[in-house]
Amino acid sequence: MTTTTARGLSDNLKSSLLRAVFLIAVVAIFAVQNPAFINGASIRSVIQGLVFVGIAAVFLTILITAGEFDISVGANAALAGTLAAQYVVGGEGVADDRSPWSGLLIGVLVGLIIGLINAFVVLVGNVPSFIATIAMLFIAKSLATYIPGGKPIPGYRDSWAEQGIDFQESFFLSNFSIIVLVVMIVVGHIVLKRTHFGVVIASIGSNKEAARTSGTQVKRVKTILFALTGAGAGLAGAVSVLHFGSIYFSLGSGWELTAIAAIVLGGTSLFGGRGTIIGLLFGLALMQTIASGMVAVGIDPWWQTVITGGIVLATLVVEQLRRKVS
Amino acid sequence: MTSNSQYALEMIDISKSFGNTIALSNVDLRVKKGTIHGLIGQNGAGKSTLMKILSGLYPAGSFTGQIVIDGNPVELNSTLDAQAVGISIVPQETTVADTLNVAENILLPEMSKSPLKPYDKSGALAKVSEFLNSYNIPLQPDKLASSLTLAEKQILMIARAIYLQPQVLVLDEPTSSLTGDEIKNLFAVTRTLKSLGITTVFITHKMDEIIELCDTVSILRDGQIVCQVDRSEFEVDVLVSHMIGRDLGDLYPPQQRVGNEAPVVLKVIDLVVGNPRKPGEPLLNPFSFELRQGEILGIGGLVGSGRSEIVKSLFGHYKILGGEVHVQGNPIKTRSVSESISHGFGYITEDRKAEGLFFNLAIKENFTASILKFLTNLSFLMKAAEKSKARVYLENLQVIPQNLDAPISSLSGGNQQKVVLGKSLITKPSILMLDEPTKGVDIASKAEIYKTIAEYAKQGYAVLLISSEFPELLAMSHRVIVFSGGQLVGEMAGGLENEKALMLMAIGAGNDSKN
Repeated sequence: MTTTTARGLSDNLKSSLLRAVFLIAVVAIFAVQNPAFINGASIRSVIQGLVFVGIAAVFLTILITAGEFDISVGANAALAGTLAAQYVVGGEGVADDRSPWSGLLIGVLVGLIIGLINAFVVLVGNVPSFIATIAMLFIAKSLATYIPGGKPIPGYRDSWAEQGIDFQESFFLSNFSIIVLVVMIVVGHIVLKRTHFGVVIASIGSNKEAARTSGTQVKRVKTILFALTGAGAGLAGAVSVLHFGSIYFSLGSGWELTAIAAIVLGGTSLFGGRGTIIGLLFGLALMQTIASGMVAVGIDPWWQTVITGGIVLATLVVEQLRRKVS
Repeated sequence: MTSNSQYALEMIDISKSFGNTIALSNVDLRVKKGTIHGLIGQNGAGKSTLMKILSGLYPAGSFTGQIVIDGNPVELNSTLDAQAVGISIVPQETTVADTLNVAENILLPEMSKSPLKPYDKSGALAKVSEFLNSYNIPLQPDKLASSLTLAEKQILMIARAIYLQPQVLVLDEPTSSLTGDEIKNLFAVTRTLKSLGITTVFITHKMDEIIELCDTVSILRDGQIVCQVDRSEFEVDVLVSHMIGRDLGDLYPPQQRVGNEAPVVLKVIDLVVGNPRKPGEPLLNPFSFELRQGEILGIGGLVGSGRSEIVKSLFGHYKILGGEVHVQGNPIKTRSVSESISHGFGYITEDRKAEGLFFNLAIKENFTASILKFLTNLSFLMKAAEKSKARVYLENLQVIPQNLDAPISSLSGGNQQKVVLGKSLITKPSILMLDEPTKGVDIASKAEIYKTIAEYAKQGYAVLLISSEFPELLAMSHRVIVFSGGQLVGEMAGGLENEKALMLMAIGAGNDSKN
């Protein structure tokens, strides 16, 4: 029995090590091409590049572990960020700006509502989540463009400026998005690996019937996970508005694919039943390192997406082969 | 546990119908505390419906009658309700979460009740390990469920149910995928439970299991309990005739004689089957045999003797390293399944679900799925032709219900197997290969299947039959070739009198037995 335990542990360790080695190799390749790739500023830019999609991807990982999908996370973030900015900045004729913190609340709330609508359509309407959330992607994306009339909404942090708070000078504020990501990762990891709920979630993704006969109310759990995923996406949108001080045009676009790619690269099963937040962190780091690295060594931007897609495809094939072997 | 009643479970005057079909009528089942109560009946007799009522899957109001647990009437609207009053059901289908380990699977009901509690992995392993040891259940708590065999998964589901400390444990055909030792193990666990005062309802269609294990048996036939018998009055003949409603006498159809003048349809000469795991190495020793027109040739042997691999290799599943296969006198190759089909081979595996029944389609569409191209006119499906073709097989095989539009998913296991057989026969393969065609099938369905196979051979087609039930193999086959340890060890004539000789040969001790 002990031997199996040891083997199980080393298996886990092996795949983590494998991923770490892979990441280091990728970094090394870019560093050889362009030594400037390893310095404080570029590492910082890699982290800042993955942080927003990362916040949105944590609960998405948990949702996928339960066997469902949410393609609308990026559009959700855009709409939540837009409404948060509108609320904080206020319409024309509103004299005072509201606190940027209140925008976070709005963002989470908007995301939560979108998540609940997704849950309703999928679980009550019996629509596959892949399809239902694509529809939501279009709706939220259009609303996010329509509401501000296609214009940016600047001045999100004006009330802080008026109070004499300098965003860039404050360590807490300028690193706020990273702090949020770290908190999300810790929370997500604990939920998935250190609570009974995490085991229940994996059981749903693995075999719904097994979960149901064990007394799990599958639809209720999935509703919670859709809502959390929506709230996480909304939070990501609002945090990015807070970070940049303004809603920007491309907020959230392409997040769904980046997130899913990072989730799969990390070792979460797209078919449900097995999920890892630590793996997600690795996947995010790898995706962003490659994206930044390709810029650093001057690869044609058109090729960058081809290479990213190719890596995702290769990962999926390797995962599938591994499943077959075991 | 307050003792209000001598019965742990009473189901009183239960009736249920689906549309016009009456599934259960006025069923009374009374299970005494602390006993092992057998519930036996053929597939389609209503066992599953009764259990679905008991598990809360058919909620109160969708049937008439009363469920009483330990003297208290209860209303069950969900699996949770059933668990709450102490009913724990192990379903026939394996519902195990593959990506979780054994301990997590067992603790799942507990965990889903307290989702917010921290998950202590090593504590969970220790707890489950102690539990498994106390019941002598041979499972490792830290093993991933996906790495378990089908039998181990079955044991896992039983362990999960026992862990809930039920008052009434219901095992729904638990032995259908277990081997001899595993069955013994299961029986031992069930007896341990009995000694701990737990009541068990044991559903099966295997008479020997009832006789070995149960204190009382209730026999269900056509939706009614036809009798309830205590252990002291068990008598096989009586129980069987109650169960099938007629005598066993004509289970096997009479055999047509096949003479040496009948043409050889299939000739296999020194065939060497490649091992899929070790390329270039043989899986079995070279073997040769002949199959004549109208002949049923049995392939005997124990599990693992290589008997299934022979038909699979003829059906293009394995690489052929050497030797020859002749069909109707012409040498052929069997490189792929489609090639084998084009040479006239038909194959029914022992795995009904993988065999390709379309579970959401009606019976008639399943029958005709493989001959659609013959039923179309300018690409339009000729519904009338489809219906009349399918009706022939529906009637010949006596599929229940006799309704071409009934979905496959509503059929019992035995009747699904009849459809599998019909689906293959409708294409008229000249060499029909059957691997365990009556696995998990009740006696009445078996009789229909035997009749159909014999009839098919009589029409001049050839049949290769694999079965682990030696009486079935011997009674159905004209000749039996026997494999043991990957080697063809001998041949004998069919007929029930050769059962002992076949067993001796199959276990590798038969070299000196005559014929």
